[in-house]
Amino acid sequence: MSAAVLVLDRVTKRFGDFTAVNDLSFAVPEGSVFGFLGGNGAGKTTSLRMALDLLRPTSGRIEVLGRPPARESAAEIGFLPEERGLYRLMTVLDTVVYFGRLKGMGRGAAKAAATALIDRLGLRDWAAAPVSKLSKGMAQKVQLAAALVNGPRLLLLDEPFSGLDPVNQAMLEEVIGEAAHGGSTVVFSTHVMQHAERLCDRLVLLARGRKVFEGTQDEARAALPARLTLTCRSDPHGLPGVAHAHGAGHAGDGWTRWEVALRPGADPADLLEACTAQGFPLRGFDPHRPALHEVFIHLVGADQEIAA
Amino acid sequence: MIGHVLLVAVRDYRQVISTRGFKVTLLIVPLAIALSIFAAIRLAPQYAVAYAMVDASGRHEQAIERRLDRDYQREVLRSLSAYVERWDLAAADPAAPWARSGRARASDEALTQFVAGGGIEGAMRRLGPRVPGGVPRFKPPPRFFVRVPPPAGVPTDRGAEAFGAAMAAPLQTDVTAADGKRPLAVAIYIPETYGAPGVVARVWTNGRSDAGLTAALRQQLSADLRREALQASGLSAEAAARIEGLRAQVLVGDPSADGGGRNTTAFKSVAPLALVYLLLMTAITTGSLMLQSLIEERSNKLLESVLACVRAEALMYGKLLGLGAVGLTIAAVWTGCAVAAAFLAPGFAADVLKPSLATLGDPLLVAAMIFYFLTGYLVVSMLFLTIGSLSDSMQDAQSYLTPVLLVIMLPVVFTVQAVARTPDAAFVHVLSWIPLYTPFTMLARLGGGPPPLEMVGTALGLIMFLGLELLLLGRLFRASLLAAGQPSRAEIFARMLTP
Repeated sequence: MSAAVLVLDRVTKRFGDFTAVNDLSFAVPEGSVFGFLGGNGAGKTTSLRMALDLLRPTSGRIEVLGRPPARESAAEIGFLPEERGLYRLMTVLDTVVYFGRLKGMGRGAAKAAATALIDRLGLRDWAAAPVSKLSKGMAQKVQLAAALVNGPRLLLLDEPFSGLDPVNQAMLEEVIGEAAHGGSTVVFSTHVMQHAERLCDRLVLLARGRKVFEGTQDEARAALPARLTLTCRSDPHGLPGVAHAHGAGHAGDGWTRWEVALRPGADPADLLEACTAQGFPLRGFDPHRPALHEVFIHLVGADQEIAA
Repeated sequence: MIGHVLLVAVRDYRQVISTRGFKVTLLIVPLAIALSIFAAIRLAPQYAVAYAMVDASGRHEQAIERRLDRDYQREVLRSLSAYVERWDLAAADPAAPWARSGRARASDEALTQFVAGGGIEGAMRRLGPRVPGGVPRFKPPPRFFVRVPPPAGVPTDRGAEAFGAAMAAPLQTDVTAADGKRPLAVAIYIPETYGAPGVVARVWTNGRSDAGLTAALRQQLSADLRREALQASGLSAEAAARIEGLRAQVLVGDPSADGGGRNTTAFKSVAPLALVYLLLMTAITTGSLMLQSLIEERSNKLLESVLACVRAEALMYGKLLGLGAVGLTIAAVWTGCAVAAAFLAPGFAADVLKPSLATLGDPLLVAAMIFYFLTGYLVVSMLFLTIGSLSDSMQDAQSYLTPVLLVIMLPVVFTVQAVARTPDAAFVHVLSWIPLYTPFTMLARLGGGPPPLEMVGTALGLIMFLGLELLLLGRLFRASLLAAGQPSRAEIFARMLTP
């Protein structure tokens, strides 16, 4: 695995009696697209704020780009906060250039990068317009441009898809993909699992400030007992690895469809191999690939607010 | 960090100066000065009127005319003395009555000397050759009251009632006098037996004149009656005139023989006192802008984006610098306009400010004015920034703002008045040592020249207070902005006080 660009090591953050982040540890490998998933109040934003030195942890250690969190790293970081806001009277171009300059870019370089990003995000005609004239979606693009203008090594996006229409969500996914291909490490928090499913190499699942999972999407799915639909003539209860099964209707000519749940850790491929070895007649074998949403519900419980 | 401070400062400065509110603010003083100039040129009260007089007694009219002429000569002398002082021409003849300043310039003795010296013509013969190029020629004020004969057809020999009735229509018109058209504003009738019991002089007026003519008439007639009474008591005409002319001479506590010292102190105080108000206005104006800017960033949720790139302290210093520059821009434009008006045009600025500026030759005084102005600006700005960092909305800020403004403004207004009346009042000395009020109080006192030790002491106290304010505000700013609304205000204060 490549070096980690963001490390949280046993980090806890308390606000009075409330523990927002509890003994959280994870590492984000360089070049990955890393999903930071959890329901509302899971501790995602607090963790990102600590990574940016906007908040100090109560305990634990944080490392960003190999250093403790500090403004000195700002030149290599892009950040899109969850709560969006811009200077209403500044023009689109000036806004992006301003943030580029705050991140240590020279005027010329900031202007060139800002112009290119504004074009890329479809805002060319609005470059000279004040932000107050923009729609909410366009303003969010401006803020995204402000996060990307310095070509960051580490891009932290806090709920980047919230408030965007489906077209702009798709465009944002493209932009994140481009940033990752360009060498950036992207960390984004979301409670919308579809985006994570499409983008993430690795992910962390948080619930009530605690980590409940860290790994790849496949590893996450493996944490959920496998489910499959079998079309067979006999009751599959006796097959190895089957936890339970129930009939789901006739399939004609004496065949029956069964919804089968395997025991935790059991692999559907092993079941198929066992059927073949035992001469168990099969007409259909359809493993279900669980959605990340199901994995999340399984791991953290249905009471956490998330969106599929 | 300096780069970030400058970036924040430039952004805030550019944002504010691009607003309409700033442009309107900038125009307030130039407009006020333009109005003052316009008023001085066009709207000055018209005291110049004509009057018609019938003295059936034949005993008073010459004395009344002499009295009115003397009043006019006194006004010419006053006006000429102000002109000489304004353009620094006293060296032309330091002993001349018009070279005097203060109250001495309008004394009876000075007036007699002025008239004996040929009045305005005599003065201009001495002064004219010494007036440098570029300085406008002195223009004497017009005569207030010019006597004209009663209009044709008005009976002058049929008593007061007939004269008054006939004058009703002419009093609505203008008449042509020696120096042009004037309103015929007053008609006077003095009966033949004036002075006998029950006989009254009559005055008709159409309201187009002020009360000056009537007052002069009453005073002169009273003097004539007293003199006649004295003569009737057996005194000679000379003795009666001498007694009537007696005036109590009282010299009111001027620090110098001619009152110039007192006058100079008053003039010297004008610029520092104007600076106190300028400081108050610009600090509060830009403080409000600073408040709005900070609250915009807080309510727009901008802060996280900015604070991910710059330290809270850099943001704070940048705001102080940027909006400080806004305040100084306002101060510079306003001061520039006032100074330009003082030197180039008539009006309030020229009458009051120019003589004051002329007294500011002492570089130490100028340096002290700049020091107290800038530090005062910082003290007030930081208070506004504190309010901004504790407020999530303008409504929230208002609850802090009102008491803070009262705490700043009320003592300052009292101080300025106290300094003008009793500069050595204990109240003024006490406020001089309270850092929040030091800049205002010391600025107000600069005209009178406060003791150097007090200046140095209060300046040191002020610098230490500013350092402490900066340190505490930095902590408060950081704690408050980074808290994102999670802890209570009390917790923020507690954090502010811990390193």
